[in-house]
Amino acid sequence: MAAHDHRSHCTISGIPLAACYGADDIPPTARAAVASSPGAAPYLRGAYPAMYRERPWRIFQLSGFGNPADENQRIRFLLGQGEHGFIMEHDRNTADHLYDVDHPEVLARREDVGLTGAVIMGVRDYETVLDGIALDKTYGHPGGGVVQHAPFALSCYWTVARRRGIPFDQLSGTGQSDYFLTYLGCIPKQQVPTRAGLRLCSDIIEFCAEHLPRWVPVSIAGYNGADTGLNAWQELGATFANAIEFLDDVRARGRIPLEQAARGVGGVSFRVAMDFFEEIAKLRVARKLWSCLLRERYGITDERAARLRIHVVTAGSAMTYQQPLNNLVRGTLMGLAAVLGGVQSLGVSGYDEALSIPSEHAHQMSLRIQQVMQHEANLTAVADPLGGSYFIESLGAALEEKARGFIAEIEAQGGFLASLDSGWLHKRAEQNQLALFDDIESGARTVVGVNDFKHDQSPFAIDGFRGSSDAFEQASRRLAELRRTRHQRATDCALKALASTCRGDGNVMPAMMAAVDADATVGEIGAVFRDCFGDWHIPIAM
Amino acid sequence: MSNAPSPRVLLAKTGLDGHWRGVTLVAQALRDAGFEVVLAGMARAEQIARMAADEDVALIGLNIGGHIEVVERILDALAAEVPDIPVFAGGIIPPWMVERLATRGVEAYPPGSSLADIVTAATRLTATAAA
Repeated sequence: MAAHDHRSHCTISGIPLAACYGADDIPPTARAAVASSPGAAPYLRGAYPAMYRERPWRIFQLSGFGNPADENQRIRFLLGQGEHGFIMEHDRNTADHLYDVDHPEVLARREDVGLTGAVIMGVRDYETVLDGIALDKTYGHPGGGVVQHAPFALSCYWTVARRRGIPFDQLSGTGQSDYFLTYLGCIPKQQVPTRAGLRLCSDIIEFCAEHLPRWVPVSIAGYNGADTGLNAWQELGATFANAIEFLDDVRARGRIPLEQAARGVGGVSFRVAMDFFEEIAKLRVARKLWSCLLRERYGITDERAARLRIHVVTAGSAMTYQQPLNNLVRGTLMGLAAVLGGVQSLGVSGYDEALSIPSEHAHQMSLRIQQVMQHEANLTAVADPLGGSYFIESLGAALEEKARGFIAEIEAQGGFLASLDSGWLHKRAEQNQLALFDDIESGARTVVGVNDFKHDQSPFAIDGFRGSSDAFEQASRRLAELRRTRHQRATDCALKALASTCRGDGNVMPAMMAAVDADATVGEIGAVFRDCFGDWHIPIAM
Repeated sequence: MSNAPSPRVLLAKTGLDGHWRGVTLVAQALRDAGFEVVLAGMARAEQIARMAADEDVALIGLNIGGHIEVVERILDALAAEVPDIPVFAGGIIPPWMVERLATRGVEAYPPGSSLADIVTAATRLTATAAA
């Protein structure tokens, strides 16, 4: 049977496991960090001294579909149910590609519009989504997961805040601009090249450093690398190779102190999947790696920069189509690993993940899993409860060594951007995918309900959430209204100014804010980007 | 059999969603089983129909990540342009959609399907079409 296969004595990333661990298994080089305190460098044991006792992790779920009003309703539902912040999801067709809803590629798939998130054509739609939500009191994630979408998404959100009279220094939240999503895992049909994307990211980092001190400007999502196939140490290595690319660029531009940029880049997200102990060890050692990397490479020791803050999303790919209620158990286990590893915020994927975007009920259950952990299981009283465990510390040291090796491999490729441009990183992810699938096909790895224990009484069969059906029509109507009622000359001027900034080397964010304020649409912004920056050549066949 | 040319399969994505893990896995499994695979990426209905004809494929696989109406528009185009080429599908396909695709003669392989079953289906569908 599967349980006795030799592969179950390795972690999923291939690190061999002994039957039992002792003090000698913690390498001497790791012992100083093990003996440190939570909240002290190198932060192996936690970002803050008292961890959840003083700062419970933020319950932070993705949500969004259909029309801006649908998204507004779902966010308010989640906040009303005890969520501590919100993440806006956008329609992939329009947002990720920077297409208006009447772009030919979108028209050809009009019924898909609104499936993965709300359709947002401009700042007026942001006003609808954010209606009734106190932006100065809520931690917000306005979307912009895809690199080229981020400047628009952030500008819209901040413009809504400004119109409400909220000073920028009172806004807290996070951007994203994730390379793993954009160039590795979920590649848009058309997008700006990686180098132009880096310029946009550095612009956001510098703009936030100047105007939005409480905002995380970009947030590297190792999650998206991992759910595309990178294993635990590859996820760590690639995440920090990406951070190195950001910091090197900001340093070369020389406009803000590097410590400040490092603070901005030091809010990341990781995936937690089903290898319980490996994931705990990974989160702990991620903090150590970051603080060592800043000290070794940049001489940065400033504690606000060196303290890595971690958001975790539980693996969507671990959620099965078969026997979907089992996914509540998987969500709980993965969530628990995240909590034990030490996180600042957590999203638990919906139990209907393999069938559809989350239903309201699936969303509620993701919250309830987190609330049961926070309030019933006494998990929050003690910081780093597994610190000093022979096994966890030994595994963490092994992961750290391999992650450092992977950073070196990426640098040998010419750096993180080069590893994406050439398709090298895609190949590494694909190799793992194929191996994992082989193991599932052969039965060497058991997935309950999928390749074993398949008998299902199905008393709770679910059908998948269907979303709203009028998102395309509504968005078309709003777009026509927007074009008819805006001050066209002001829009044209603002777009021209944006194009001229893009062609020069100034920061695009002030021009983007002005364009958004003048009711420029997502597609018009996209046209400027495509014109100024050109297209990225996708390095893989799909 | 050994002298026969490998049957060609066209794989296309119906939506503008660039998740490529699933398609790549299926493409590799089909290649390993002796098929020749042509990848169309995120293509529109008329593009898929034209490629299927130009490339002279024996089977079309649709990677579905969106609404049934988009898929049905593609099936309509294929029925009009290349009516003899069988179609099967994979991707995020909830149970109700599996049933609706079946009424159009399209077998669906949702998440968790075995690659061996997908290869068996491709072999059967191309053999039936050739007969």
